[in-house]
Amino acid sequence: MQIDEARLKEIIKKVLTENLAAAAAPAADAPAAAPAPAAAGEVFTKDTPCNLKVTEVGEAQKGTVANEVVIGLGPAFGTKQTRTIIQIPHDRVLREVMAGIEEEGLSCRIIKVYHTSDVSFIAHTAAKYSGSGIGIGIQSKGTTVIHQKDLAPLANLELFPQAPLIDLDTFRQIGKNAAKYAKGESPTPVPVRNDQMARPKYQAISALLHIKETELTDRNKKPQTLKVEFL
Amino acid sequence: MKRSKRFEALEKRPVNQDGFVSEWPEVGLIAMNSPFDPKPSIKIENGVVTELDGKARADFDMLDSFIADHAIVLENAEEAMAVDSLEMARKLVDINVSRAEILRLSLSMTPAKLTEVLGYMTVLEMMMGVTKMRARISPANQAHVTNVKDSMVQIACDAAEGAYRGFNEMETTVGIARYAPFNAMGILVGAQVGRPGTMTQCAVEEATELVMGMRGFTSYAETISVYGTEPVFIDGDDTPYSKAFLASCYASRGMKMRFTSGSGSEVQMGFAEGKSMLYLEARCLYVTKGAGVQGTQNGSVSCVGVPAGVPSGIREILAENLLAMMLGLECASSNDQTFTHSDLRRCARTLMQLVPGTDYICSGYSSTPNYDNMFAGSNWDAEDYDDWCVIQRDLKVDGGLRPVKEEDVVRVRNKAARAIQGLFREMGLPEITDEEVECATYANGSQDMPNRNVVEDLKAIEEMMAKRVTGVDFIKALHRAGFDDVAESVFNMMKQRVAGDYLHTSSIFDQDFHVFSGVNAANDYHGPMTGYQISEERWNELKTLPNAMRPEDF
Amino acid sequence: MNQDELTRLVNDVLKSLSASGVSVAPAAAPAAGTKVTKENYPLADKMGDKLLSPTGKKFSDMKIEQIYDGTLTAEDLRIAPETLEMQAQVSESAGNAAFATNLRRAAELIAVPDDRLLEIYNALRPYRSTKEELIAIAEELEGQYNAITSAKLVREAVEVYEKRDRLRKD
Repeated sequence: MQIDEARLKEIIKKVLTENLAAAAAPAADAPAAAPAPAAAGEVFTKDTPCNLKVTEVGEAQKGTVANEVVIGLGPAFGTKQTRTIIQIPHDRVLREVMAGIEEEGLSCRIIKVYHTSDVSFIAHTAAKYSGSGIGIGIQSKGTTVIHQKDLAPLANLELFPQAPLIDLDTFRQIGKNAAKYAKGESPTPVPVRNDQMARPKYQAISALLHIKETELTDRNKKPQTLKVEFL
Repeated sequence: MKRSKRFEALEKRPVNQDGFVSEWPEVGLIAMNSPFDPKPSIKIENGVVTELDGKARADFDMLDSFIADHAIVLENAEEAMAVDSLEMARKLVDINVSRAEILRLSLSMTPAKLTEVLGYMTVLEMMMGVTKMRARISPANQAHVTNVKDSMVQIACDAAEGAYRGFNEMETTVGIARYAPFNAMGILVGAQVGRPGTMTQCAVEEATELVMGMRGFTSYAETISVYGTEPVFIDGDDTPYSKAFLASCYASRGMKMRFTSGSGSEVQMGFAEGKSMLYLEARCLYVTKGAGVQGTQNGSVSCVGVPAGVPSGIREILAENLLAMMLGLECASSNDQTFTHSDLRRCARTLMQLVPGTDYICSGYSSTPNYDNMFAGSNWDAEDYDDWCVIQRDLKVDGGLRPVKEEDVVRVRNKAARAIQGLFREMGLPEITDEEVECATYANGSQDMPNRNVVEDLKAIEEMMAKRVTGVDFIKALHRAGFDDVAESVFNMMKQRVAGDYLHTSSIFDQDFHVFSGVNAANDYHGPMTGYQISEERWNELKTLPNAMRPEDF
Repeated sequence: MNQDELTRLVNDVLKSLSASGVSVAPAAAPAAGTKVTKENYPLADKMGDKLLSPTGKKFSDMKIEQIYDGTLTAEDLRIAPETLEMQAQVSESAGNAAFATNLRRAAELIAVPDDRLLEIYNALRPYRSTKEELIAIAEELEGQYNAITSAKLVREAVEVYEKRDRLRKD
């Protein structure tokens, strides 16, 4: 069988991208209003719009001030993927984490990590760029780690491995706890939830999302500073 | 759109809680029969493989090198590779072609070749293949014994009940990693109370696992993971060479061990290199074979949600089990981790291994309610015990368990609890109270158990391990506590290391510590009324349900 | 494994067996110069009086009372290189040459202390060792423990790690 593999790949990608884009696009008549505040029990669907614009503004620099936490985002965050595995739009994720950090009186910087799609390594990179040495890594599907620059990459301060169980409230608490670590406190870890039924529901989809994120990695591209706009 | 009431009802069915995705072959999100899998080939020059599955030696990655140099019997490789793949698939289901003849060919075939052979087969044909290719003549089963509180008393009781019900192997793990030695002691003692000769293991970080094995806390090891692509292998912090060395470490201490692998892990970690799950699993199994390991735990295992989410995924899981058997490996065939909300799906998935029988049908079956299963849930749990027994009875298949009476289970659970209580007392470990013994005897799960003083337990464990306590200390303590029969079983289990018979493929012990393995109890299936036949005695055991009404009672 | 190497190994074992006072030609056991086969398996049942621990204690003499009175210890409940060689021969006669190779590597590693064994395993993991360090381990295995096949595996790993860039870089 003679198939031009490159051509085939291109077609498959195109079809998939279009399908996903169609699925991801907000319904034509959806209102362009600002999202509602994080109400308990709020339901997100694939039609919930993501009102986020991220722009790369050059290579990230290592922080010099101790009162900051750096948030490292996966390569697809806010661009090729705009929702977590449970459809939380990425703007809402970032708003909560940033609000959590700010509640503790600290500032934050956001970088996009390209050399890896592994959440531990993303978080460790963020920590290394953070003036406080504390970083948060968030994959596009929502998996999150709080890291400290002096720890081994596969270690962590707090790990939230099951993306389907991370809701807005948890994202806010993650921001708060990261800020507390940055201030030198020892906060009580955010309770990790466990659901044995997460695997049947999400494991295959999780693989799909991770593959797509991994495809965007570039081993030679340094972390980029992100300008974040909430639309 | 006006909703159909039928579709609204269907939406609420458990199966619609499961996640499904369509195939994406170019990144490896495909179970088997991928157009991107390599075409089988082998070239041998002066006894060295110079081309494997379309790749020249200069282009070999680490796995290719290891497989080419260790995993394939080269003597008749050219003959074997010349056999048409469809013809080979037919040989697998042909009762007139023996297991030995299949092995003579399959051991000289390449990973892509066996992948191609299995691609021609239906699940029914593969089940025929498993019936013939399983290494040990009789099937068996394995249990998980864990709980969220890491209560070693409850572990001892659930292990005793599990062994009494028929599991030949049992595996524990931990919630808190530092609890491992106590959990290993609980499962060891409980297993020997329930049925002498039941093997036990404790799945933890690799170095700790080896140390506990060396000291006689466990009798075998299973969670030695291998992966199908080099980047994922490296992410797992090992290489085929380090894992082969580790395998020899275990054998050098007289301990049985098997590797673990399963489809979906590579795609889950984003580095499937565009190959099908079955082809990558084939590479794992060739690494296992090349390392000289006697067997594998495979069948997707912890990444089961990935193959289960794509078309033909459950078929692929059966194919990987059969592929292991075609390499002469013991196969503990998964059927463990939770992969679906649907009782229909979980049963259909298990029939693939239960009906033909494998060396260990589940690896394992949760001996607790699912909430206590620390391997993230199992496809079968303690609350399914009666269903399992009825399915065995319905189909007249031997799934390794037997129906039991409540009073007998309460008796063995109580003895196990008292034995571990006595062992702890005699070793000067933190007290196991009479209340714990009572609760564990009658418990369904850890919700029925009191809490222990975790800080005190962890401190005692640290001291115990620093003193380099071994299984011999357990034997003495059990003797002092008045449990001579349990001491004797623990002794016999340790003594088996001196002989090493149970290192061999698919070994199990009977209650008198006679070993049965692929060497002295080899599968000889060649058609109806051959191979494993359920004896009359065993059938009486399997068919006698305590709650079945008997005609003579009316 | 080639025939010469095999013959050498068998001879080694037979030598060590007779050195440790084991007669190699009893009724149940194979005659001297021949191999153990799957017919002799399980060795515990069929030739338990020919199996010795590394400390020289006979398998069939081991009784639990000796644990209680302290004459049998954890050190005695270990497998000996000679026994692993016999099991390797059983494996070969059952058609599993790969498993036999593993058992022969294992036989060599019995002499390596627990802690050193763990260190060597860790040194073989990716990015842990330089080429020189791994070669030193291979030499140690050969020189100190006569662990020829294990050393061969380490040398092979060196070659592949170097090619695949998995060595530690200082």
